[in-house]
Amino acid sequence: MPNVRRAALTAALAVSAGVLAACGGSAPPADLVSVSNGGCGVGWHLAGPGWHTFQIYNGAAEGGEVDLIDPANGAIYAEVNGLGPGTTSPMSLDVGSGSYAFRCLFDDYDPMTGPTVVVAGHTRGTPAILPITSNDLIAPASEYHAYVATGLNTLVSQAGALAADVRGGNLAGAKSAWLTAHLTYERLGAAYDSFGNFDDEIDGRPDGLVGGVNSPQWTGFYRLEYGLWHGQGAHELTSVADTLDHDIRALRTSWPSTEINLLDIGLRTHEILENALEFQLTGHDDYGSGSTLATTEANVQGTLELLAILHPLLAERYSGLPAVYTWLDRLQMLLNQNKRPNGQWLAVSGLSQSSRQEIDAACSQALQELAPIAAITEPRLT
Amino acid sequence: MPTDPVPEEGVPAEEPGTAEPGTADPGALEPGAAEPGTADPRRRAFLRGALSAGVTGVVVGAAGGYAYRATRPAPASGQAAQENAEAGLLPPVPFHGKYQAGILPQPQRQTAVISFNATADGRGELTDLFQTITARARFLTAGGTPPPVGIGGPPSDSGVLGPTVVPDGLTVTVGVGSTLFDDRYGLASRLPARLTPMLPFPNDDLDPAQCGGDLVIQLSAGNADTVMHALRDIARHTRGGMQASWRIDGFASPPRPSGTVPRNMLGFMDGISNPDTSDAAQMDSLVWIAPNTAGEPAWTAGGSYFVVRLIRMLVEFWDRVDITEQENMIGRRRATGYPLDSDSIYAVPNFALDPTGDVIPLTAHIRLANPRTPQTADSRILRRAYNYDRGIDQVGDLDTGLVFTCFQQDVKRQFEAVQTRLIGEPLVDYISPFGGGYFLALPGVLDRTDYLGRALLA
Repeated sequence: MPNVRRAALTAALAVSAGVLAACGGSAPPADLVSVSNGGCGVGWHLAGPGWHTFQIYNGAAEGGEVDLIDPANGAIYAEVNGLGPGTTSPMSLDVGSGSYAFRCLFDDYDPMTGPTVVVAGHTRGTPAILPITSNDLIAPASEYHAYVATGLNTLVSQAGALAADVRGGNLAGAKSAWLTAHLTYERLGAAYDSFGNFDDEIDGRPDGLVGGVNSPQWTGFYRLEYGLWHGQGAHELTSVADTLDHDIRALRTSWPSTEINLLDIGLRTHEILENALEFQLTGHDDYGSGSTLATTEANVQGTLELLAILHPLLAERYSGLPAVYTWLDRLQMLLNQNKRPNGQWLAVSGLSQSSRQEIDAACSQALQELAPIAAITEPRLT
Repeated sequence: MPTDPVPEEGVPAEEPGTAEPGTADPGALEPGAAEPGTADPRRRAFLRGALSAGVTGVVVGAAGGYAYRATRPAPASGQAAQENAEAGLLPPVPFHGKYQAGILPQPQRQTAVISFNATADGRGELTDLFQTITARARFLTAGGTPPPVGIGGPPSDSGVLGPTVVPDGLTVTVGVGSTLFDDRYGLASRLPARLTPMLPFPNDDLDPAQCGGDLVIQLSAGNADTVMHALRDIARHTRGGMQASWRIDGFASPPRPSGTVPRNMLGFMDGISNPDTSDAAQMDSLVWIAPNTAGEPAWTAGGSYFVVRLIRMLVEFWDRVDITEQENMIGRRRATGYPLDSDSIYAVPNFALDPTGDVIPLTAHIRLANPRTPQTADSRILRRAYNYDRGIDQVGDLDTGLVFTCFQQDVKRQFEAVQTRLIGEPLVDYISPFGGGYFLALPGVLDRTDYLGRALLA
């Protein structure tokens, strides 16, 4: 599978190399660690534990990546990506007791690991984290792909029922069916980018359209919500519901041949709820049904699904994982307090300030705890 | 609470924010300490005027030496100080002490007042919250390098101040509101005796969304980016524990002309006189809550009642008022800051000689705010006002005015007494208080083992 972030770096390196050649070199800074095709940090040393900033100088003819690793297992303490030839970049870490070696990953050469430096004692420093490779992410991606496929099957039948309600003029039933189907879609959150244009068609906002909510180009769940909750009739909404039904079927048809970008899996662990905070908990995406708390709850479920899939990789790498679950649990509990017995939800605009702030706080803290996962699960070379 | 895999605090800079060589740093002065270089009496007078002043506030006699304990570089080297401020090179304000360090200093160039509601679940999390705020404030005010995170997460700092956080004179002042003492945290029995929700006055137009709060944090520094950086840092470390409810940014103008007193948006010098912050006895009688104060819980000792009032100034209307009427409303000359009965900015107006208000009208702001009688002496407040400017209203007029803050020992005896005297003053037609709150600024953080609110939460 493609590795987008790496590919972009390689392109950037080519550019910076040209610029540097034109500028000429400057005096090498102190505490310099030199890497090149011929050696990866030869002759470097560490005085002892404590915060330390190396200046990594790339004397090779091409760009590359330099990691500071534990040579025993390849776990990474710190890294410098996209280090152009002839350039120097700082690498900071809190050095603790342990073994350290530089590893150089140049574009056209086999990985190279330099000499090992041992810092004695029992001082804790920046933890080394075992890198996650593209290979490691293939199984989670497959699992997630299957989860989405199952969800899409459910969604297709729910969207069909929704369209039938609208077509048949049962708008009360349609409102209920709309919520059911929309929440199913929102549980799939992690796949947004993979859905490509389908997401704009199925769950797009009117914000960027000329005419806004009156734009004929506005389609999907929110368009239908707007109509159902703003007194538009079955006649007007039938084509909207049918288009949604059609687009969801098309998405399901295309899904088996759609690849999940491996980089996205980790990114989505916080991006789903970033969107929920921006568009749902603010009430921005309330087009009449007042169900943005339900949408947020569905987004939490989608996030939890991703976490479950990534759990085997995260458990040994992320000490903050328990806090992630603590705050997601609290958020889910707070959200569910606003579900009425009849299945309707309180609108965020109807919450007391204290209830709203509790929810916002839990979501924001959950996001803070989730944020490191994207960095940890970024597919790395080894 | 957050469990970052990296150290919460950065490494303090060895000499954070060192001032330019040759720049005097009076910030090291403790209250009541002798002033260095007092040989030049003119400079002494200048300092007193420039730095302990007040027009629309409670004006006090200028007795008792100069009032500069502050942590800004001395304005005698004004040019250097301004350059330092612009370069973000103001020296650090020592964070630890018996009192919070941001209370006595003169207004800094930039400030932000942010009100939060606690969302912590129970006393334990609330304690975590105050400990976290303390740890962040300790680091931010000292400056230093944020911790590296390796590959384990996004950067530990926003980078807004560059790779090394400069102190830039930052102060972090934390207060608690009466709502924190409801049934959520078991603190009801520790409610300070004089802490209530902010009292609405007859001329107020309060917006509940911009009033009150469980906590207030005031961040002041030499530059707006320093204030913003501090706010982002504190917020990212406390997201689950508190949520911001309202916020206002303020600024202190440079004195114009140089050597006078900063002006407010009415065009008048603001803060010509104030209690003398270098006079420890005066601070003890007017600002700090003393140990064993009758009715006050013991934990409040070393704290200070902190009043915030957001006051819109209707500047378009004001600008259509002739100068005589403007000056009669204030009681001072607009151009010079002189009381109407005097030829000196620092002169004490002599109301006794003018019992019918022929010179300074009986309804003038400075006369009502501080009648300068023995009976009203104990109602003086430590006034700290900033200007604000935040856009326009529905008719295109400017939304600008005053972030009025003041500190005092007893909000009833002081702020409310002053504000009661001001009810119905002619100036009320041109101002509109719309927000703010009453808080109790917590006692100071003594050392690295202490934290804000320890005595309250213990």
